[in-house]
Amino acid sequence: MASNANTSRGTVPAKCVSCDRSMDSPLFCAHCRTLYPADDVSHFELFGLDPSYDLDAEVIRRTYLNLARAIHPDRFPRAAEEVERLSERVSARVNRAFQTLSDPVLRAEYLLEMLGGKSATQDKNVPAEVLSQTLMLREEIEEAKASDDQESLGRLRAQVGKLCEQTLAGVAELARRLPGDEVCRQALRAKLNSMKYYQKLLEQL
Amino acid sequence: MDETETILGIDLGTTFSLVAYADEEGPHIIRDETGEGRLPSVIGVVPSPEGGKPRVTIGWTARNHAVENPRATVYSIKRLIGKGMDDIRQELPFLAYAVTAGPRDTVRVEIEEDRYTPEEISSVILRALRERAERHLGRAVRKAVITVPAYFDDAQRQATRDAGQAAGLEVVRIINEPTAAALAYGIGVREALEQGAAPAPARTERGHVSLPQPTCPQGPSDKPANASAAAQTVAVYDLGGGTFDVSILRIERDVFQVLSTAGDTHLGGDDFDREIIKLVQREVQEQFGLSIDSPTTRQALRGFAEAVKIRLSEQEQANLELDLGDNRSYHRTITRNEFEALIDELVERTLVLCRHALRDAGLSPEDVEQIVLVGGSTRIPLVRRRVEAAFGRPPYTALNPDEVVAIGAAMQASVLSGAAADMLLLDVTPLSLGIETMGGAVGKLIVRNTTIPCRATEMFTTFVDGQTAIKIKVLQGERELAADCRALGEFELRGIPAMPAGLPKVEVEFLIDANGILNVAAREQRSGKQAGIQVVPNHGLTRDEVARITRESIEFAREDIDAHRRIDLVNQVEFDTHKAEQMLAKVGDQLKRAQRERIERDIAALRKLAAETQDLDELHRALDAFGKSTLHLAELGISAALKDT
Ligand SMILES: [Zn+2]
Repeated sequence: MASNANTSRGTVPAKCVSCDRSMDSPLFCAHCRTLYPADDVSHFELFGLDPSYDLDAEVIRRTYLNLARAIHPDRFPRAAEEVERLSERVSARVNRAFQTLSDPVLRAEYLLEMLGGKSATQDKNVPAEVLSQTLMLREEIEEAKASDDQESLGRLRAQVGKLCEQTLAGVAELARRLPGDEVCRQALRAKLNSMKYYQKLLEQL
Repeated sequence: MDETETILGIDLGTTFSLVAYADEEGPHIIRDETGEGRLPSVIGVVPSPEGGKPRVTIGWTARNHAVENPRATVYSIKRLIGKGMDDIRQELPFLAYAVTAGPRDTVRVEIEEDRYTPEEISSVILRALRERAERHLGRAVRKAVITVPAYFDDAQRQATRDAGQAAGLEVVRIINEPTAAALAYGIGVREALEQGAAPAPARTERGHVSLPQPTCPQGPSDKPANASAAAQTVAVYDLGGGTFDVSILRIERDVFQVLSTAGDTHLGGDDFDREIIKLVQREVQEQFGLSIDSPTTRQALRGFAEAVKIRLSEQEQANLELDLGDNRSYHRTITRNEFEALIDELVERTLVLCRHALRDAGLSPEDVEQIVLVGGSTRIPLVRRRVEAAFGRPPYTALNPDEVVAIGAAMQASVLSGAAADMLLLDVTPLSLGIETMGGAVGKLIVRNTTIPCRATEMFTTFVDGQTAIKIKVLQGERELAADCRALGEFELRGIPAMPAGLPKVEVEFLIDANGILNVAAREQRSGKQAGIQVVPNHGLTRDEVARITRESIEFAREDIDAHRRIDLVNQVEFDTHKAEQMLAKVGDQLKRAQRERIERDIAALRKLAAETQDLDELHRALDAFGKSTLHLAELGISAALKDT
């Protein structure tokens, strides 16, 4: 299988190694349908976008469907096994990119790490008030669940939903300032970490 | 010629299986000589009279003789495939045939001296479908798309693929039943809109067509005028014989994107039947102090309960009557209300799963623009009412719930043969995938409802100096503890270069392919060499075993239909007429004289036809008609069989 040997890191290869024609996507040649793993290309580049928090959901979706149509294993039904495997890998890659770019939290997370911020495992900092608040809420949820108190559960659902919304607004505001300075990136990291706590609560509800 | 090779679409169901294919005109269900598309997923092993190899009966024949052959008639095998003994404890009281534990937490069906894997039993059904297709198409067929419940896990999917292989079929894709139904629904709607009320691609005897009217007569038709271009959110509610699935899809032109799925692989029409069986068993026990639970009774009660259930979908009440012998008879009337009370909890469970699927898709019931009903059990009025209440709109019922899955499978088959290259199906994995971490917890690698193919990688290292192998336990499920999830298997990484502890870095790739099946690969990063990986499957067959059942299936197989169809039919006529005579002798006094005489005449006529005719289709039809005309007699016979046990 062709590998994109003649590509510079993170850009669309100029020419397809199989047919020598120019390529529009880092993932596949539209002329001869050769697939490329494009492991070094960012999610944004896969979708032909500049890195940014604000994206048009409709554009993302259209691009995704066009890519999927070109690379999905169903499109290579009689291909050799290596090609089939590669199309699975490339499809998995595009699916991941679509999932990340369409979800505001995953998108902020990805953008933060891409632009020099720390990952959740590197920086686990969560504001103390968020910790105590979620601890309290968890107890309330467990209590309401134990006594099957639907009214309280409804109230808690609304409350946690509101917290998620507010935190997400904070995430968006900080993510728009990326790459920003270290303070901004740390603040975003903390907001994203808090978000995880709230999302876990929401799952329990 | 590879380009035009036909790929079959097969719906391998718990109670019934169907086969379809698509050509330029669209998808077609392949029917038997009597126009019936459904083949009962039942096989019977009948000892050969000469003491040779046992004869295997399949489908209607096996189903119709289940009561006489209780321990050697295998049904609902789909509820056992890919499962271990612990998974099926609650099934056992309802199975008339014997099930024992096999190696690696698998199960075996035991008939006389022989033990069969669920894959082997399923492969017999698949081979019968393949042969039906080959007779119809007049050429050999080697490839198929087979459908499975969306909620089937990795082991169940692999086992289904193995069954296909054992039936001489390359399973080019496993697709999910609700997704297949959505394909049939979506393409049907699009074509109807493009052509104005277009003719159905597959019109069935029952008068159901696979195409809807452009506007749904009962539903709120607030679709935009050009609905073919707009996206539509659809819920597929699929309640079959043994399994329940709900899938939420976004359908936009020819793209079918599954947003989420939820289900229960042990919830279906069988369970509704069992509620009736339990009621009868309990009341017979209370009233007569009799325990009716022999294999014969189990088979008889199954058919009996199913008939009552079907009657209650059409009528407000049904009579239950069992002759228990010694002038004792159990008699009661069951109303539809009573039946609905019995199954209410089961139906409620399906609605809870609908809410889970909606939540995972990030939608509320109002967002769903159409609810497509699939599976025979959706004919139950209570199911329709509850679904309508849950989604706040009447479900779409224009599709034939029995055939829509096979139609969709044939459509996907035509995509994979390169004929329908515009259609794109994007499905999801129903269950989260993880690995066991320290202390028996689960480290999630892929969350449920992720679009497939999907991939995750994880680094592993050694704990001891010079360690050259690492074991990874792979799990599927949503629970926090490994013990509560389903262990897919243990993967052993071997051939790791001997190094101090913690130094080797083995990258393991977990890839769920478009079939929803897991593939694992590993690479040691320092040496760059592909680490050897050995998979020890839980609940499944090894490659050697699959090869063995593929090889041996030729011997196990019943005689080839094409060559021996006449012998089979004549034998069947002999069997059926003889049986009818026996029944007449035993319970004929319960019939009116005119009825008795008519059956006697039918017996003579059928024997004469069997001896003389060269038209096997005619004989088949006559045999079928005979079965129908002696149905009442057979029912009386079932009661008598119950009495005898
Ligand atoms: Zn090219």
